[in-house]
This record gives sequence, C-alpha cells and structure tokens, in this order.
Amino acid sequence: MARVALRNLVKRYGDLAVVDRISLDIDHGQLVCLLGPSGCGKTTTLRLIAGFIEPTEGEIQVGERVVSSPARAIEPQLRNMSMIFQSYALWPHMTVMENVAYGLRLRKLDRDVIRDKVRAILNMTKLAEFEDRYPADLSGGQQQRVALARALVVEPETLLLDEPLSNLDANLREEMRFEVRRLHDQYRYTTVYVTHDQAEAMTAADRIVVMNKGRIEQTGTPEEIYRRPRSEFVARFIGGANILRGPSLDARHMRFSGVVLRCGDAEIALNGHAALSIRHHDIRLLGAPPSSAENVVPAKVARQVFLGGMRDYLVETHDGTQLRVVTSAEHSFAPGSAVWLHLPPESCRALVS
Amino acid sequence: MTAAVAAGLPGRLGRVDLSRPVVLLLAAVLCLLIVLPVSWLVYFAFTDRDGLPTFANFAPLFSDPAYTEPMITTLVISVSVGLACAAVAAPMGWLVARTDVPFARTIRSLIMASFVTPPFLGAIAWEILAAPNSGMLNQWYRELTGAPPDQHLFNIYSLTGVIFVIACYTFPYVFVLVANALERIPGELEDASSILGGRAWHTARRITVPLALPALLAGCLVAFLQAMTLFGSPAILALPAGFHTMTTKIWSLFQYPPKPGLAAACSLPLLLLTVVLLRAQHMILGRRSYQVIGGKSGAPRVIRLGPWRWLALAVCLIVLLNPVFLPYLGLVKAAFTHVFSQPLTLKNLTLEHVDFVFFEFSSTRLALKNTFLLGILAATLGSGLALVIAYATARRVVAGYRVLDFFATAPVAIPAIVLGVGLFLAYTRPPFVLYGTLSILLIAFVTIQLPAAYQQLQSAFRAVNPELEEASRILGATRLQALRHITAPLLRSGVIAAWCFIFIGTIRELSAAIMLFTADTKVISVVIFDLNENGHLGPISVLGILMLVITFAVVTLANRLHGSGAWRGQRVTG
Ligand SMILES: Nc1ncnc2c1ncn2[C@@H]1O[C@H](COP(=O)(O)OP(=O)(O)O)[C@@H](O)[C@H]1O
Ligand SMILES: [Mg+2]
Repeated sequence: MARVALRNLVKRYGDLAVVDRISLDIDHGQLVCLLGPSGCGKTTTLRLIAGFIEPTEGEIQVGERVVSSPARAIEPQLRNMSMIFQSYALWPHMTVMENVAYGLRLRKLDRDVIRDKVRAILNMTKLAEFEDRYPADLSGGQQQRVALARALVVEPETLLLDEPLSNLDANLREEMRFEVRRLHDQYRYTTVYVTHDQAEAMTAADRIVVMNKGRIEQTGTPEEIYRRPRSEFVARFIGGANILRGPSLDARHMRFSGVVLRCGDAEIALNGHAALSIRHHDIRLLGAPPSSAENVVPAKVARQVFLGGMRDYLVETHDGTQLRVVTSAEHSFAPGSAVWLHLPPESCRALVS
Repeated sequence: MTAAVAAGLPGRLGRVDLSRPVVLLLAAVLCLLIVLPVSWLVYFAFTDRDGLPTFANFAPLFSDPAYTEPMITTLVISVSVGLACAAVAAPMGWLVARTDVPFARTIRSLIMASFVTPPFLGAIAWEILAAPNSGMLNQWYRELTGAPPDQHLFNIYSLTGVIFVIACYTFPYVFVLVANALERIPGELEDASSILGGRAWHTARRITVPLALPALLAGCLVAFLQAMTLFGSPAILALPAGFHTMTTKIWSLFQYPPKPGLAAACSLPLLLLTVVLLRAQHMILGRRSYQVIGGKSGAPRVIRLGPWRWLALAVCLIVLLNPVFLPYLGLVKAAFTHVFSQPLTLKNLTLEHVDFVFFEFSSTRLALKNTFLLGILAATLGSGLALVIAYATARRVVAGYRVLDFFATAPVAIPAIVLGVGLFLAYTRPPFVLYGTLSILLIAFVTIQLPAAYQQLQSAFRAVNPELEEASRILGATRLQALRHITAPLLRSGVIAAWCFIFIGTIRELSAAIMLFTADTKVISVVIFDLNENGHLGPISVLGILMLVITFAVVTLANRLHGSGAWRGQRVTG
C-alpha cells in the first residue's frame, strides 16, 4: 500500500540543484538507505518526501496518490509519515510520556488507548522508567530512543530517518544499527533511512541508494553495491578500492602500466579511456613472477604496515600509480622489494566514467 | 491519480502569497519609524530656512565657542567615563566571575539595580547628596568637622560631578561584558597554561587578560557612547554649573526661538560617531556579542582569595555605595522629610510630598496615566513587531529578511535625543502631524526599544530548532497547531521578558521624551525633570521611588519567568 515513488525529483535553491533528477521506487515494507557524503542532498530528499519543502520539478507518489509536485503539495501532517530527525527534535517542554503521546493525542484517540499504546512502546524501547523525565535529563542514547518511540507509536505508513545514529558514540551506534534493523523486521514500515555511514547502511538496508552531488550514483542491495560498483565514486565511497586507468582495447581489455588487463564482467567503455576498480584485499601479492602471466603487473613496495591479522601495503607500479593491497600477515615484503600483483579478472570491475 | 489529490486535501495554497505583503507592510512600518526621521534630520542639517542647500548650519560647530566648548566637554566626559568604568568594572567583574568573593550573587543583583536605575534619577539623588550647600554629605561633613556653612566637601555641579554620576550608572554595561567574558574562558585553557609551568600571574597575563580584553574594550566603547548621548544627567548637573554638553545644547536649540537646522547639524556628528563606534565594537567582539552565554566548555576555575575575600567584598560594597546605597538613602530621606538636609527627627518626618505628588499636583496623575499607557502600548507593539520580524529573519521565510534585520537593528545606532530631534522634525508637518499626541512618543519608544527586543526574540527563535516544529507537523499537527503546541510555549518566556524590558525602558525614558512632550503628553520622567528645575526634590524622590519599585517588580517578574519553565535546557540537541 505505502509504496513510495520519486519521479524525476528536482529541488533547486537559486541555480544550485541540490536534488537533481532523482527517480526511485520503494516497495511496501522495504528499508531503503540513502547513502552519500555530507552535503549530497540526502536530507533535502527526505524533507521533500516528508513535505516540508516542495519540489522544483518532478513528483512524489505514495500508494496511489501524488503527494508532492511543483503545482501542489499535500501538507506534512496529512501524509501519514513519521520522521526521526538528526537533532531528535524532542520537545524540551514535554516529558518523555508527553512527547510520545503527542501524535496519538492529535489523532484524538481514547485516553486509555493512548496510555496503553504509549506504555507498550516505552516498554519496548526500554524507556518505561523515564516517562516523567524531561528530554534534557536523558542521555544521548535515551533521547534517541524517545525519538524512535515517538515516531513508531503512531504506526505510520512511511518512516523517515535522518542520520538517526550520528549523535551517538561509537559503541552505542553499532548496537543501535542492529536495533534499527530488528525494529524494521518487526514492524515492516516502508522506511527511508539517510546516513553517510556505509556500515550503518550495510547493516540496516534492504536496498542502498548511493547519492553524490544531488544525483543517484547507483542503486542495489548492499552486496551488489559492494561487489559491483559501477562508478569510481561508489567504488571509493563503499569499502575503498583502487582505481586503475588506461587506454581501452576492446570490451573486455584495457592497458595498464604496460600490461593488458582482462576485466571479468562489465563492458569497458570504448571511448578510449577505461577505468576499473579492484578492492584492496582482492589483489594478490607475489614475490616472483607467476607461470601464468594473465593480469599480472610488476610493482615495487613503497610502504608496509603490520596490522596484526593482516598487512597493509602501498605499492607503486612502473607508471607511478600507487595501489593499496591488503594481504594476510604471513608473507612480508620489505619496502623497496620487487613484487608482482595478480589482479584476478573476476575482481576487476569496469567503471562507467 | 492526481485527481485524488485535487479532490480535496488542502495544499499549500495561500501561505506563500501571504508572507510577501506582510513583509512589505513591516518594511513600510520600519521605514516610518527610522528612515523618515533620519531623512528629515539630514534634510534640515543641509538646508537653510528657505529649504536651499547649504553647509552653513555646520559652520558654528567649528568656530563658535558656544558649540565647540560643549563638543570638547562631551569628549572629555565620554573619555573619562569610559576609563572610569573600565577601572571599576574590570576588577569587579573579575572578583565576581572568577573568585570566591562572598555574596557574589548579591553583588550582581546590586549592580543590576544600578543598571536599571534611571540615570537622571541617579543624578537627582546625587544632588540631594552632594549639592554644595544642601547636600546631605556636605551637611554631615560640616557637622563632623565644624566647618563654616559656606564650606563644602563635594560639589556635584561640576565637570567631575557629571563624570562621576554618569559613570555610576554606566559601569554595569562594562561589568556585564567583562564578567561574561571571564566566565566563558574555559578553565581548561588556564589549566593548560598552569600545567606548562605558568605561575598564577603569568597565566593571568598570557591567557586570562588577552581573552577578556576585547570585552573590556567593547565595554569602554559602550560606556563612551552612553556618556556621549545621555541627556538627563548633564542637563541636571551641568546646566546649573553653567556649561553645556552636546545633548543639552541640542535640547536648548529647541527652546524658544527654535533653531531646527542647527539642532540637526549638531545631531549628525553624534549619529555618525555612534555608528562608527558600534561598528568598532562589533568588530572587537566579533560574533560573540550575540552568543547566548553558556555552552559546554568547562566551568571557569574559581580563584581562592582566602581571608582577602572579605576585603574584596568590602571594596565591592564601597563601590556600590555610590550608585545604589547612598542615592537610594538620599531619595528615601528626601521623600519623607520636610527638609532633607536637616537631621532625621520625628518633627522632620512627613507625608506631604506623597500628598503633593498624588493629590495636589495635577500633572502627576496625567503623567502617570500617560506613562503607563505608553509603557504598555510600547511593550505590546514593540514585542509584537519584534516577534514577527524575528520570526521572518530567524526562519528566513522571505527573501527580504536581511532588510528587515537591518532596520530592526538600526535604531541601536540612533541616540535617543537624535531620534527625538528627527521625530520632531518629521512629525510636526504634513503628511504626518503627530506632534502633541501620545503617538509620537509611542513611535519614539517603540523605535528605541526595538533592537533589544528584536535581538532577544531572535535568539529565542534560534534556540527553537525548526525541526521541533517539523516534528510536530509530521506527527499530524497543522501549521497553527505546531505554533501553538511547540513554538509558543518555548518562546513564551522570551516574549514576556522582551515585553518587560520594553516596558521598563519606556517608563524611564527621558532623552527622546524631552524633545517630544507637550503639556498634555507629559510622562513621569519629564515631570521629574520639570520638578527638578523648580527645586522640588521631595516630590521627585516620591516619584523616583515609585518608579524604582515598579522597575524592580517588573525585572524580578521577568527574571522569575525567564528562569523557570519546567525544563532546564532550552535546547535538546545532541
Ligand atoms: N534552504 C536551503 N537553501 C539553500 N541551500 C540549501 C538549503 N538547504 C540545503 N541546502 C544545500 O543543499 C545541499 C545539500 O544539503 P543536505 O540535503 O542537507 O545534505 P546532506 O543531508 O546530504 O548532508 C547543501 O550544500 C546545502 O548547503
Ligand atoms: Mg543531512
């Protein structure tokens, strides 16, 4: 029912398109993460969905109705959504109980019904003992849970979360990542979750939407995004990767540092310049040239760091490109020694430039 | 699909369209308040009687001793007051903010008391205390030493007297700035220096003083400006001594026969200097002047004075003798004795001044009525206006919000007496003939008080994160419900405080009122000024005490409301 669809959504402030032609379908009950660096337009997209601002172009549809378009926007209170703000936006003049009950009171529910619902959600978020406290007297984690309880208690069709964990300290953040996912599995609200933290997105999301400069770079499951980044931005932003550049030869081959590389899957652009990405730990480091010479690039170790379970190398190929390689801790190559890099074709992803 | 929406749900119709006319209206109102008087001022300064352009009005300012001398006097007074305030307020600010001096809160309250005491009332109180013949202090001196009746210890009717009295009621400005700055220095900074081996004095010299110096400098500038633009104290003390300051000179130019061109020419330098000095102050303080005090930085380290702290307390109390204890004592004695310079005996006690003020003297009741009416109207209109402008600028609801911000802040740079001259020139002629009505006083008071109220409400709005409203919207509240449930309660104490401060500021205002009153539109401050010219110090004291009581009551109320509220932190953000 609450399927949310963004169609060619644009939001401009002056000449700057903060949100630039975003199209996205979010199925009922799905948790979609908008993931991108700070300033890429995630919050703006979320506020467009909530109806706090109106799009310059395009439209937003929830279920069967268009809720936002440049000509007309339904007011936020009529959208049956809930939102958790980055600041939590707890009302300082109301107790925890009053904060949580607010949405239900607006819905003119029975006093007893309100009390029961509030009790239930406070128990579930482990806040029952704090119901008479004011938000200023709670810790960051507790405030965050009040915000969650306040948003969930009204049983929205759509739940919007704007970096809900960014104000928590690292331990709590990790714990809450799983908590968010657990709550979602329990309630199955259609959810849009905004974050700049890829670990958060990976843990929580059914689907990740990577955004950059107001546009969608790539959409997919966490695994797809990680395994098959389609652009340099995604490859670097998610998990970190080496980017290799060189002239393209055909749809599967490119030249890099004097060697022909074969690329496992996608098509290499035939406009002359090719780029491919390979994860740091997908590169194999060899002390001698292997018998099969396919996808082997000679290089020199520039730096080596021992990290306990593994070793982190910086190597330099003949054309001067520096690559990071992460290997098991067993073999050690001293800085300055010659090494051979094996780049398995199935780990090389051609990028759309 | 789109039809489903068109079928009935309310859209955003109307909202955007309404804000523009409202802003235009506001801008127009602010123009009437500020641009019109200033324009007339400039016009008069640069034209002669026939309206022809001329620089002749400025000539006497440079050549005629009747004008150059007041200018020099004003400069001397302002510089001296600035220095005197710094000399007194800086050590006191340090004692109260950073040491364990006993009764620090009481000292602060007493300084607040001198802050809200109308300066002209202080000047009159010091007449009671230190007029050469009748002054109470001089009487005591003669009684103690047996000096002849024509000898006196103090003469308040002198340049020193004027400087002293102005400084008494100006040093709180410096004190507040310095004390706040010292409180904001995080203890860690000073600790860091101590750990690095810095001795106490070294730490003070390298860390504390440089960090507090901008506030002190800014405070001096404010004190300078206050002294330069004050009308009441010099009018009360300098005129009997036979000399003028710029403000009293401007005022005298409106006595018969009025010379508006000259008055305008004398006003412009005051206006320009104020603008320049405020810019300088802004640059010195940077953005900090607008910062709400407090924050997360560590509490400042308290320096233990040991037994010396009682000496420190004594010094503070001795300082406070001058703006608070002695003047209040003088006022009380003058209010309830036949002859205040005579000893306090049963025979000398009387209620005749009370009787005179409230029943015999016809002016008082009218003036009281006018004052309260104007106070309430100015407070209500002013805080309402400030509220709307603060909303528009804090939430940036319209493109032109910067213009509104400018106009709402601009009156800060217009000395009250200059505004009085401007309003007089602007509203004694068509199209707006308001002279002789209460409206012109209302305009003056609202304009004078607007910047402070606006700043207060703007910071109140800023403390209310817009997301608090949005959180309520998304949970089902309409725009109005969100304002009612969330914004209004969070702003209420700020609005009440702004109202109270406008009210107090209005009932004690003299500099603009003195230019604009007529027989029917006198206010208490003007009545006090009149009574002083006739030497009725008893009735003045009764009125003055009444004014002080009202002021303290309102300040206490405002503080109580402001400090309360069930929640402790105004802001709940991570
Ligand atoms: N009301 C506004 N006016 C002008 N620019 C804005 C406004 N709101 C956001 N922006 C700009 O849009 C960009 C994206 O903002 P935002 O959506 O908050 O990014 P994110 O949430 O991804 O960090 C930023 O560069 C911000 O400065
Ligand atoms: Mg954001």
